[in-house]
Amino acid sequence: MNLALTIGILVAGVIAIGLSIAFWATRGGRRTQAVFFLILGVVLLVVGAGLGWRSIGGGTQQPLVATPRGPIQVRVLTALPAEPWVREAARRFNEAGNKQDGQPIEVQVIAMDGLTALGKFDRDEFGSLGDKTRDQLSPQELEKLETTFPTAWIPDSRYLVELANAAYKDRLGRDVFLTDGEYRARPTAISLFTWGLYQSRDEVLRKKFGEINWKTIHDAAVAKGGWPELGGDAAWGFFKLVVPNPRRNVGGLAAMIAAAGEYYDRTNISVADVTNPDFQKWLGELMGALTDVSGAGAYTAEDFALFGYSVGDGGQLLESDLLNNMAGIQTRWADPLVIRYPKYVTWFDFPFSVWMGPETTAAEKNAALQFEQFLLSTEIQKLAVQQGLRSVNSDVSVTDGDTLFTRWQKQGVEAVVPRTTRMASPSREVLLALLRWFDLNVGK
Amino acid sequence: MKRTQRRQRRPFIVTVLVAGVLALCCLAIVVPALLKGRSPGTADQTVVVDPRTAKVTIAYSPEKATLFTGLVKEFNAQKLRTPDRQPMEVVAVEMTPEEMVNQALAGQQGFQALTPDSSIWLDQLNGRWVQAQATEPGAIPPRLVGEPVRYAVTPIVIAAWENTARSLGWPDKPVGWTALQQRAQQDPGFKWSHPSTAYASGLLATLAEFYAGAGVQRGLTAELAQDPKTLDFVGAVEKTVKHYGEAELPVIQRAAQEGPAYLDAFVVSEQLVAALNSRHFPGPFGGGQDRLIALYPAEGTLWADHPLALLETPDLTANQRRTFQAFREFLAKPEVQAEVLRAGYRPADLSIPLNSPDSPLTAANGVNPAEPQTTLQLPAPDVVAAVQNAWALTKRKTNVILVVDTSGSMEGSKLENAQAALRTFLVQIPSDQERVGLIEFNSDVVNIIELDTLARNRAALTSEVDSLQAGGNTALLDAVRTAYERLQQEADPERINAIVAMTDGRENNSNVSLNELTAEIRAGNEKVPVVIFAVGYGKDADYDMLRSLAESSGGQVREGTPETIRDLYKILSTYF
Repeated sequence: MNLALTIGILVAGVIAIGLSIAFWATRGGRRTQAVFFLILGVVLLVVGAGLGWRSIGGGTQQPLVATPRGPIQVRVLTALPAEPWVREAARRFNEAGNKQDGQPIEVQVIAMDGLTALGKFDRDEFGSLGDKTRDQLSPQELEKLETTFPTAWIPDSRYLVELANAAYKDRLGRDVFLTDGEYRARPTAISLFTWGLYQSRDEVLRKKFGEINWKTIHDAAVAKGGWPELGGDAAWGFFKLVVPNPRRNVGGLAAMIAAAGEYYDRTNISVADVTNPDFQKWLGELMGALTDVSGAGAYTAEDFALFGYSVGDGGQLLESDLLNNMAGIQTRWADPLVIRYPKYVTWFDFPFSVWMGPETTAAEKNAALQFEQFLLSTEIQKLAVQQGLRSVNSDVSVTDGDTLFTRWQKQGVEAVVPRTTRMASPSREVLLALLRWFDLNVGK
Repeated sequence: MKRTQRRQRRPFIVTVLVAGVLALCCLAIVVPALLKGRSPGTADQTVVVDPRTAKVTIAYSPEKATLFTGLVKEFNAQKLRTPDRQPMEVVAVEMTPEEMVNQALAGQQGFQALTPDSSIWLDQLNGRWVQAQATEPGAIPPRLVGEPVRYAVTPIVIAAWENTARSLGWPDKPVGWTALQQRAQQDPGFKWSHPSTAYASGLLATLAEFYAGAGVQRGLTAELAQDPKTLDFVGAVEKTVKHYGEAELPVIQRAAQEGPAYLDAFVVSEQLVAALNSRHFPGPFGGGQDRLIALYPAEGTLWADHPLALLETPDLTANQRRTFQAFREFLAKPEVQAEVLRAGYRPADLSIPLNSPDSPLTAANGVNPAEPQTTLQLPAPDVVAAVQNAWALTKRKTNVILVVDTSGSMEGSKLENAQAALRTFLVQIPSDQERVGLIEFNSDVVNIIELDTLARNRAALTSEVDSLQAGGNTALLDAVRTAYERLQQEADPERINAIVAMTDGRENNSNVSLNELTAEIRAGNEKVPVVIFAVGYGKDADYDMLRSLAESSGGQVREGTPETIRDLYKILSTYF
């Protein structure tokens, strides 16, 4: 548009000068008109040249204050396992031209592990206003707030929302994510933690131990002779466990909590349980089978598939991540994956949580709510199932049509998981105790 | 009559006034706008980040230059724009992983995202950054590096010429680090190398030695890595390394040129093995006379996973995030992933079979897509750091003599740049146990700093470099001969013996001829191998002569300019 304007002005200038010459040259010389068009032509050429010079970079920096934005921005921090689904939903939502108060809405999805996001909320890195009001911000500060502050957060699990609220309660004296009312955090989809093992390894382990659980995995992990001792191929090396790195991925914490549940045979885990020396020794032996304790890899199911059995023989990972990688694993590694359901199960429910502070406007909050409703719609819940997540809408079945759940039933996927016991949400103290233990005994 | 003239003049004056006012209004609008546009950059010279900018600079590691710069070019050609019409642009800058880490930590990085050869560096960067943040104990630590994505991966392998591979047991039995190390220790003629620990492949080779030395295959600790028995073992193995080097790419390029005469085996990524066998590198051995085999170490290997991640700095704009996301999505496109496979990398898109018709990952190209079976356990960052430090102490030590031209043509900024390069070289060699000497020549050999450990002569060398003065002719051959004789007299085959000879002109004043000297070098190298790195400084250097000197010793010729000579000496320092 700027370029068209510049060219238009330049052309008008040239026409004006042309007219000036024409008037001057007419018999009798219409001097008044000639001078008028001459001055007008020169001015238009100067203005056009100036704008042209700026547009080709002569003006160097852009002005610091952005021009007013059109759409209402909804920035959604999204946990990694749900990100592909939420991103596709956002694309559809944006394309549908949804509006709030007559203004179009643009949803922007920012992928971030729940633990990383929690850390950012803990440290107030998103820059909440605190005692300030929006009016007290400089134009630059306001610009930053309006372009970077998250409008909503979809963490992996509800307990991360509770932990973020705890941090802000200390700081602001109130919750920043509500637990009831219209703006309450609502689960958007569900995925369970399950065992995923390469079939060749699963067969050997089940022959040796009968069942896949944390205790048998522990025994495999401590086998000094590696796979030959367990009845497997020498080329496989030692048993390699895949568990997300708890410093990089909240799934690692979920796996350790599930392991603790099986160790103690109960659903509630306390700080005393985590600090019990016998449990710590057992957990240390288990974690000794991790291939990468550097923290370099997050140990997601994507890694498990991309690097194959070379980095892990099996481990506890999110069902949706495993389902999304089943086909790829068969293509890349020839050895298929099997899924087994543990006795004590942890799951993620990806709660949509709207930020309730003055950092975002009422219109942004309501636009976020619109997007939440869109996520919960039947169409988008079916999309979730297509991507390996379990719907929170009871009308949407995981076995309705050709889904990942039906396609991989032969590999152990169960539409209804009958015998599991849900682990209770751990407290902040339990989580921090587990992280501390990991840092001191595995990560360092 | 007068009244008529006045009547005629009035519209003219009005017209001029109207046009003048119009002109002033336009200028009043345009001039401040133009000045405003210029002011941030010119007033105080501070760099102001445009909060709407959508330009993202990405630092990439050198071995994937061809692939990565090609992909960036394709992305930019799409001419994408953000919702507020800012052009999305990616700029690629080449950098070693270590430089990426150091620049990001110093907060002076000119990049918003990075793609090193391995995630190891991202972890080091985060770990060191967290240490500098004084986080409360037990709190969730901050992260500087955002969520990484992968677009191309490749395992690190031992590349061996087919005959060598067969002699190690391939393809009938698994070949590992132990077999390679045993062979190197038993056969004095066996030539192998690995990059320094500044690269993922060098780090892997070194870790494998420490695991073998400690007698464990997992659970390596800092204590085990620093145990004298482990260090003795690693030291013995490292003594068999021919030389280290800057990275994988120069090694594979020389391998294509010289074949087994250069090295019998070396540590590189699988992608480069496939690339050499499928004639991507010029030279008689680039897919012609012999074939490289990728040996996947039986004890385990590592993956070069080429992560791509944003640096989560406060000045990152929303539009830069959009550009990064668009680039990330571009890299995931099936056609782009197919391009990644054609370049010899394993694409992150698992739906693309590695045995696609145009895949270079074939048995004919010496690789096996079903491998590797297992990886080595990558220890915690402090253990990795302990290994890196211990390697610096146990690596094969060096006797290196710097031969420096101070003839008349070096006068002025040319000499000043060379002095800066020599100072950089001395700084880059951290271990005081390395032995370095210096020979200055012009019409004759004019000054000699005898070979000694840097612990003893670092100050003397620096002082000598500071006081170099230009004048006289060029007696290069006499100077190289002096250096060569001194290294032969040392008779120290335990160390890497090397000469780094730099000249900017033509030989015109030596007593010894080129033929005589190269014959002496060939004969002498039968007893104590001395490798010559010949540096031509500018276009006037006699490159034929330098090539002859280098070839007679199994060394190499490098070209430098006043602008690049400092970086070149920095690179050369990685060989020792």
